Amino acid sequence: MKSESLQGRHRATRLEIWRVPLIWLACLVLLAAGMAWLEPLFRWLQPDTRQVIYPHADFLVLLGRHLLVVAAASLLAVLLGVAAAILVTRPAGRDFLPLVAQFASMGQTFPPVAVLALAVPVLGFGTWPIIVALLLYGLLPIVRNTLAGLEGLDPAVHEAARGMGMGPGQILRQVELPLAAPVILAGIRTSVTISIATAALGATVGASNLGAPIISGIVNGNTAYVLQGAALIGLLALTVDSAFERCQRLLDARRA
Amino acid sequence: MRREAPPPNRVIGLLVLVAGLGWWLLATVSVAPNRIVPGSPLRAHEAAGWPAALALVLALAGLAALTWRPARRRLWLALALATLLLMALPAWLALAATSSVDPSLPQARLGLGAGFWLLLFCLSLMVIELRTRLALGLSAGWLLVAAVVSAWWLASPWLEPLALMREYQGRSDQFAGALVYHLLLVGAAVGASLVVGALIALAMRRHSAIERGAFTLLNFLQTIPSLALFGLLLAPLAWLAANVGWVNALGVRGIGWAPAFLALLGYSLLPMVRNTFVGLSGVEAGVLEAARGMGMSRRQVFLQVRLPLALPVVLEGVRITTVQAIGLAAVAALIGAGGLGTFIFQGLGQAAMDLVLLGALPILAMALAVDSLLGALTRRLDPRMAAGAPA
Repeated sequence: MKSESLQGRHRATRLEIWRVPLIWLACLVLLAAGMAWLEPLFRWLQPDTRQVIYPHADFLVLLGRHLLVVAAASLLAVLLGVAAAILVTRPAGRDFLPLVAQFASMGQTFPPVAVLALAVPVLGFGTWPIIVALLLYGLLPIVRNTLAGLEGLDPAVHEAARGMGMGPGQILRQVELPLAAPVILAGIRTSVTISIATAALGATVGASNLGAPIISGIVNGNTAYVLQGAALIGLLALTVDSAFERCQRLLDARRA
Repeated sequence: MRREAPPPNRVIGLLVLVAGLGWWLLATVSVAPNRIVPGSPLRAHEAAGWPAALALVLALAGLAALTWRPARRRLWLALALATLLLMALPAWLALAATSSVDPSLPQARLGLGAGFWLLLFCLSLMVIELRTRLALGLSAGWLLVAAVVSAWWLASPWLEPLALMREYQGRSDQFAGALVYHLLLVGAAVGASLVVGALIALAMRRHSAIERGAFTLLNFLQTIPSLALFGLLLAPLAWLAANVGWVNALGVRGIGWAPAFLALLGYSLLPMVRNTFVGLSGVEAGVLEAARGMGMSRRQVFLQVRLPLALPVVLEGVRITTVQAIGLAAVAALIGAGGLGTFIFQGLGQAAMDLVLLGALPILAMALAVDSLLGALTRRLDPRMAAGAPA
């Protein structure tokens, strides 16, 4: 669709490709660092409130914690999810394929809030339980898409690779994974998007991240806090999502 | 084909091992004298005696034995055994309740422990696995679920000391209200998104400029996390309620149903518009040509050919939207929209995990039920499948 612009006569420079995510990122960092400068604006919005800038933590710290939790959970989910999907598509693990495939698609109907809430009694309050809950939930789209990518390959491709004298490991690394990469990347994108949103809900179970100003604002009836948290989470989600979109386009362009 | 003994089903073997170890080593229940004191964990034999604990281990071993040589008849027997075990679990809980909960304490309660949850989870996975291996249809699945649910329901008078039941009894009226409200909120958002989504999709088919713009906007909306969107709607709605008379008269406030409904509608539009658009555009040109050749008018072609052929894809959109909305409506409880999420967040606030369960389990059940019901309906309406079915 839009990939022609990437590989057309005039090859875009690297910076140009990443322009949109970089603009979002700049907005995000500027807003997080300079929220105090916007105090007059919030004061105008809410003239009767004494405190209009979320006071309990610096926004950059909250952003960092949010990113850390999402990155840790997503990284583990990618490693474990892709490994699990590879394992159950090899001859040794094929017995487990139907159950894993069915569970991965069924599990995605579980609402993330319910998963997060159910993880708390088992794992307790705080940051670690949230990482584990995000990891477990984030696994599902990755496993599902990796399975779809690996299983969706034309058997003839397999045959041809074997005919060329490739071993099973070589086929996996040089044929199967590169061909399945776009589908896997789409799964990772879904997983990370959900993780960013669900991590914000983690503020209700004792995590201190960008969800905290929102929850605190709702509890105390302070709309300014809510707006600050919501704007930052929204920008974070847009930054990450647009970066993934670029990655997908680059991958498509390379394949074409 | 050569007939040789099929290899053992390793999946069931592994699940039996995990469930058995969990049952034996982890706490299956915990007993607390009241709501505030943390419960003391009990293992299976401590909760309801050795015979019952051993009987379950034997039954699990039976499952592993039956699937060691997985002939079709043995798999049927294993499926029956696993289902019976799921049906017998409430009886075991009732036994544990009578033997370890002091009847003189009216507030004493039985919480479910990790061992019990693990067993429940593994048994459910076994039923799914066996159902897949036996290639059973959806109706068989529903029959199994109905059997297990009715067993739990029949046993419920004896399960009163269960902490979940205690929480429910304390707020049974509230629960019914929250359930209805949750369903209303989801129904209203999905219904509205079906109408608005269809209109947008039709407009997109007329003007390609709208197509690009609408998809960009809806994609953008879908990316914004739910908590943030609820938050961002709060301020403008509060302003509208304060400054515009008729909006206020409608009952719109910065918190409550209005932001919840709008956010749910916003999230629902992308899957709805996408599927409606793809469904309507995906009808083969040859089919439309044939319909026109038969002398059908434009309206007839649309209503009698294009729409019915697009219906399965549209329904798929309804399914995705509804499942998504059921979960998002739970988050809406944070902004005072009510529904089952109220129990989740109240429970988290009071560190009362059984109250969390009271909110989360029905949401989970609703999402699964809607997913499989609408999935079945989609398959039934798919003309490609119906063509192969006997008339």
